[in-house]
Amino acid sequence: MRIDGGCHCGTITYQGEADPEKVSICHCTDCQILTGTAYRFSIPVTGDSFKISGEPTVYVKTADSGAKREQAFCPKCGSPIYAASPGPGPKIYSIRAGTVRQRYQFVPRRQIWTHSKQPWVNDLTGIPAIEKQP
Amino acid sequence: MKINGSCHCGAITVEGEADPERVNICHCTDCQTGTGSAFRVSIQVPGSTFKMTGQPTNYLKTTADSGNPRIQAFCGRCGSPIYSTTPGEGQQPSYTVRVGILQQRDQLTPKRQNWFRSARSWVTELDAIHKNQKQA
Repeated sequence: MRIDGGCHCGTITYQGEADPEKVSICHCTDCQILTGTAYRFSIPVTGDSFKISGEPTVYVKTADSGAKREQAFCPKCGSPIYAASPGPGPKIYSIRAGTVRQRYQFVPRRQIWTHSKQPWVNDLTGIPAIEKQP
Repeated sequence: MKINGSCHCGAITVEGEADPERVNICHCTDCQTGTGSAFRVSIQVPGSTFKMTGQPTNYLKTTADSGNPRIQAFCGRCGSPIYSTTPGEGQQPSYTVRVGILQQRDQLTPKRQNWFRSARSWVTELDAIHKNQKQA
């Protein structure tokens, strides 16, 4: 399905075709650091459908597998945009779901790197919640 | 308790003394966009104990429902979010540090959730989603 979105400040916008069956959560420590939060929630988009306007900053990290991954974010507001393999050729863009306008329609289908997940993430029902903020 | 951590590339390090009771989840749409994820986890660190090396990029966010402007600091090299705080020169009274970058993250359990009205529908039921210990 078609998705679109962008960073918080509007510098970067994108669109593409997403496969709802491939939506995932990653609990690896790289994702915890690079998001600053408990886990990453991503929606993959095919390379030939992906269009982006604005110039993200790209940081290349080396994953546990040894593979290099580009991590793209907005240089003005810091919103993470996507990860992808470096270099030319066909690729998948792993879009950071928090920036996707249609994210409400996607449910993660699998979780990876659960061995480093935060101990409390499976069950938030025990944590007091309020509609807005104090 | 003492907390310390760094961004992914190491350009920025932080440390401070924080109360583990002051760990929050925020499900607001600004935090969803700012993390690129489902929600944000942060801990309040008093300004008097907060120390940092390196210079983050600061983004002035003005979209809070309260109307309060917030500085969102992140590493300009690797994109890791570091903290948010009040605008102004010099040390601020408090820093809302992003728990994902902290070495003590496994010991910091959120005590409350804000903006639950915009939470993703599935966040309370992660157990139902297929799991792989490592990569697929």
